[in-house]
Amino acid sequence: MPELLLDSNIRLWVVLPIVFITFLVGVIRHYVSILLQSDKKLTLEQVSDSQVLIRSRVLRENGKYIPKQSFLMRKFFFNNQEDGFFKKTKRKVVPPSPMTDPSMLTDMMKGNVTNVLPMILIGGWINWTFSGFVTTKVPFPLTLRFKPMLQQGIELLSLDASWVSSASWYFLNVFGLRSMYSLILGQDNGADQSRIMQEQMSGAAMAMPADTNKAFKAEWEALELTDHQWALENVEEDLMSKDLDLSGMFSKELPTGIF
Amino acid sequence: MSSISELYDVSWEEMRDKLRKWREENFRNSEQIVDVGEELINEHASKLGDDIWIIYEQVMIAALDCSRDDLAWSCLQELKRQFPDSHRVKRLAGMRLEALERYEDANKLYDSILQDDPTNTAARKRKISILRAQGKSSEAIRELNEYLEQFVGDQEAWHELSELYINEHDYAKAAFCLEELMMTNPHNHLYCEQYAEVKYTQGGLENLELARKYFAQALKLNNRNMRALFGLYMSASHIAASPKVSAKVKKDNVKYAAWATSQISRAYQLQHLPAGVMLTSLALSISTKTPYTTAASAGVAVVIEIHGRRQT
Repeated sequence: MPELLLDSNIRLWVVLPIVFITFLVGVIRHYVSILLQSDKKLTLEQVSDSQVLIRSRVLRENGKYIPKQSFLMRKFFFNNQEDGFFKKTKRKVVPPSPMTDPSMLTDMMKGNVTNVLPMILIGGWINWTFSGFVTTKVPFPLTLRFKPMLQQGIELLSLDASWVSSASWYFLNVFGLRSMYSLILGQDNGADQSRIMQEQMSGAAMAMPADTNKAFKAEWEALELTDHQWALENVEEDLMSKDLDLSGMFSKELPTGIF
Repeated sequence: MSSISELYDVSWEEMRDKLRKWREENFRNSEQIVDVGEELINEHASKLGDDIWIIYEQVMIAALDCSRDDLAWSCLQELKRQFPDSHRVKRLAGMRLEALERYEDANKLYDSILQDDPTNTAARKRKISILRAQGKSSEAIRELNEYLEQFVGDQEAWHELSELYINEHDYAKAAFCLEELMMTNPHNHLYCEQYAEVKYTQGGLENLELARKYFAQALKLNNRNMRALFGLYMSASHIAASPKVSAKVKKDNVKYAAWATSQISRAYQLQHLPAGVMLTSLALSISTKTPYTTAASAGVAVVIEIHGRRQT
């Protein structure tokens, strides 16, 4: 495979500018998404439900610290066949599909505008500006299938598929700078495109109400399976196996005043 | 009156950091907060930047505690000017009305907050505190129960409810509340100890056994909890002295009580109090013979008195 020597100007005027452009566009996207964010108002029911779920989870995990009778009392309250909390409470299931729920629709539109649109525009512009030459070489060998995708604008049949054009360098940057974004902008930032695309793929209508019912069912099952292993069964023996560690009980200095 | 910074030779940064420490650890030393905070606000307001708003809030609540209405009013004015529509500031205004005992006006204010934002927990809790301040404890208990039905995770509220129940001598329900707290904070020895004390007060053989176990747990979590140690001794000796127990249980509990006695003597020896050691062992040996005796408590009281005198 012939070794190509690229003009070092390419490095200076193509590779680095593309990196900068991608990075800055990402940062701008993050701030724009913050500005366009709509307030999420939680209803009383949602807050209450989330706390109930936490309480049930705590009961499962730390139930061993309370007496057996108390644990059974609470388990009965949650899981009783007729009127246990998880059996009885059914929240209204309204999956907010984008068509019916206007706020979801606007959220999706905003998401699209801030993320997909700039990517397409800038990708196209870079393709148009920096075309006609090889930008860089990917370190692993690629098959010929990748040539039309990665070498957009270079019409050389015999060129190795590892040599790519600037458009593919741009896409590489978009995904690669994700970790840089989380370093600089903190987690959960608006410039994280791949995360957003993942969310879109996993389910456009992630309905919270249906989630609550499912969450209740899951908690019910988990609580049914939990047993009570009292942690205090042998606490006296454990405690009295050795003398108490009384060091530091009496401090020599008494605090005087505020400072 | 010389200023705090002169008295203690500290800079304004140290004063600000001290206030932050008090804020984060929920101290209620209102007089000190008022002293330090007032000076910080009057002398160094420009240097504090955005910190000043939270300091205003902290100082205002402390000023209400010390009935410094002038200071509270001026802090409130500053906060109102900066945050005109804030629920948090409205709640502070409500607290000031409570301090002036204008409970109806305060209630109206809190209701208006709740109308705007039904999930606002602070306003609800203030309304319950108003009921408590007015002495209407049964209504306070009822309201607090309703609040907890919706916000099951609010630990402060569970603790308040347990206190209310203890005042009403409803120990079973107080124990329930403390169990919630123990589950969410399994490593906090104080909740274990308080639970054990409630169980001990309820009385009855099972509750005494539970009390002993939880005193032991509190000691396991913090070896230096003297109150739990005494509690362990008392519950073990009461079980041992009870006529209805089997011989094995009696023997075990006598062993536990003896161990507790030895640990208590060790603790007093650490403080080089031979008189205290003698008195303690005397009192404890008397009490193992007769249950529910006042001699044990008298002995303990004398020991604590000597101990207290020694400290100062």
